[in-house]
Amino acid sequence: MNENELFEFADFDETKSEHIAAPRYSYWGSVWKTFFRDRFTVFVSILLLFLICFAMIQPMISGYDPLVAPNVNNPSMRLQAPSAQYIFGTDNVGNSVFDAVWAGTRNSIIVSFVCTFINMVIGIAVGAVWGFSKRLDRIMIEVYNVLSNIPYLLLAMILQYILGAGFKPLIITMCCTDWIFVAYFIRTQVMIIRDREYNLASKCLGTSTGTMITKNILPYLISVIMTYISRTIPSYISAEVFLSYMGLGLGAKNASLGKLISQYTSYMNSYPHMFWIPVFILALISISLYIVGQKLSDAADPRTHM
Amino acid sequence: MSNTNKEVLLSVKHVDIAFNNEGKKFRAVKDANFDIYKGETFALVGESGSGKTTIGRAILRINECDKGEIVFKGKRISGKISKEEDTNVIRSIQMIFQDPAASLNERATIEYCISEGLYNFHLYKDEADRITKVDQALTSVGLLPEHKSRYPHEFSGGQRQRVGIARAMIMEPELIVADEPISALDVSIRAQVLNLMNKFKEEKGLTYLFIAHDLSVVRFIADRIAVIHHGRIVEIAESEELFRYPLHPYTISLLSAVPMPDPQIEKKKELVVYDELKRDLSGPKPVLQEIRPGHFIFANDREMAEYEAKLQVMEKEHEALGE
Ligand SMILES: Nc1ncnc2c1ncn2[C@@H]1O[C@H](COP(=O)(O)OP(=O)(O)OP(=O)(O)O)[C@@H](O)[C@H]1O
Ligand SMILES: [Mg+2]
Repeated sequence: MNENELFEFADFDETKSEHIAAPRYSYWGSVWKTFFRDRFTVFVSILLLFLICFAMIQPMISGYDPLVAPNVNNPSMRLQAPSAQYIFGTDNVGNSVFDAVWAGTRNSIIVSFVCTFINMVIGIAVGAVWGFSKRLDRIMIEVYNVLSNIPYLLLAMILQYILGAGFKPLIITMCCTDWIFVAYFIRTQVMIIRDREYNLASKCLGTSTGTMITKNILPYLISVIMTYISRTIPSYISAEVFLSYMGLGLGAKNASLGKLISQYTSYMNSYPHMFWIPVFILALISISLYIVGQKLSDAADPRTHM
Repeated sequence: MSNTNKEVLLSVKHVDIAFNNEGKKFRAVKDANFDIYKGETFALVGESGSGKTTIGRAILRINECDKGEIVFKGKRISGKISKEEDTNVIRSIQMIFQDPAASLNERATIEYCISEGLYNFHLYKDEADRITKVDQALTSVGLLPEHKSRYPHEFSGGQRQRVGIARAMIMEPELIVADEPISALDVSIRAQVLNLMNKFKEEKGLTYLFIAHDLSVVRFIADRIAVIHHGRIVEIAESEELFRYPLHPYTISLLSAVPMPDPQIEKKKELVVYDELKRDLSGPKPVLQEIRPGHFIFANDREMAEYEAKLQVMEKEHEALGE
């Protein structure tokens, strides 16, 4: 055999070396995969989902209304201990604590979700533009200084006085100035990544500020925004509870966790379960919201996708 | 030398660029003055922090000029210009960045990265046309159309840099500012990227402003070289001329840093360290002057005479060697 028979030239396809063997990457696909990888997270998410659904549906079935107390004239119905019929017992006017707690939870959740949504939308929109424009920055910093120094409780009292109690006044109170904090937070984040090289590259390609915000900046902020939301939602639940406790909340017509807690405080020694049950539910929802939010924000960070 | 009958594509005219550092003005670029001819590769070489990127960005209108102006194809492009002209400049002048990892949007697909310029100016008839253009751009830099749906982090450094080149090339520019396009790359793939850039230069008659921090990279690809030191251009000449007759002490020190392929020579080579403080800077203020056609040097009249004498000695030596 000669050399030609022993050896042959192997074909070499240059494009082969460019091929990427890894399976296709999808951002949201990886987010969910990372999120559901942790059993504990899955457990807390299911718990949270169940709590929220239950809080939304149960009051519709019970039809609880704080102004209606059919058993108020029947002393034997008042302050019953927990039983099969009244799972959490009855309160001082003979209503089911179970129904009251869930109706209150429902309203607290609604208020906090709506407030978070409004503040986030306004805050992110304003903050993104604010972070990009040096001229706007000078004006907005002054606006921030003014708005962020308005005492919250004073504002709540004034608005309550003008608008009365109820959902709308409470939501307005909680959104009036709070968006400025979100906006300031987003502004700082935008400033950090605004001058990164890939944004300069976009600028060199003639990309407008609007497109830069939606395509270059916000996708990078998903994770930090998620963290922010996971802290904001529970804080609004607490704020609602606090304001209602102070008598500045949803008013007499609407059930509220804060109002229940304040009403039941006087029974803390005689009937402790009445006080601790709404507090416990409040804590459970706040903590699981926080955990799920944090885990989502971790999963939204592509560095965790490897 | 026949620079006179070459078409000037871009002129940087007495440009000063300053940054405000906590109230203090810092002049990053001092009186930069040079022309880039159509179809050439013009290299800007200097150490880190000498203001190379700053000049490159001024050409792309990212940095503002404090003094002087930049003229592209006979029209001023620095300072305030009309929207229409801005669009024109963006389409005609593109940039390749130093760090391929940092210069691509990690949250966008390769398809979006490459299409970005097309979207901005609506440079396609319909979706199918856009896809065709992206595919062509990808293949022209040796990547595959199937890479469209991938994300930047799935690529190697060399591949990412080629995505960056494709993104610039799809705009069909006339001038490309390449800011140290290969410094962040592995040595083994540097040649690949340089070859690609040369291919585009030949095919499309592109002009490059090639920024580098050492002369060795530039020797084989640049037609002309400008040496910059602390924001000041100290010498400009054709590549051959600069390597044969380097005059400014800073150029000489840069040249001494170019590694020699022969270890015996490399061992004996003396590194020349340039120290501005040790120089005799007496006499009138130096300016950039032409010592031979096309060979400029930053000097005053006294230094000019010294350089002239030195140059004549060197020319004699070369003649003697040539015979
Ligand atoms: N935005 C800015 N604000 C303030 N100073 C700046 C800014 N950009 C650059 N400088 C300064 O200007 C000088 C020149 O920087 P430049 O980036 O142009 O250097 P370079 O030659 O590109 O260096 P390298 O080789 O490291 O990229 C440096 O001293 C730098 O600190
Ligand atoms: Mg640089």
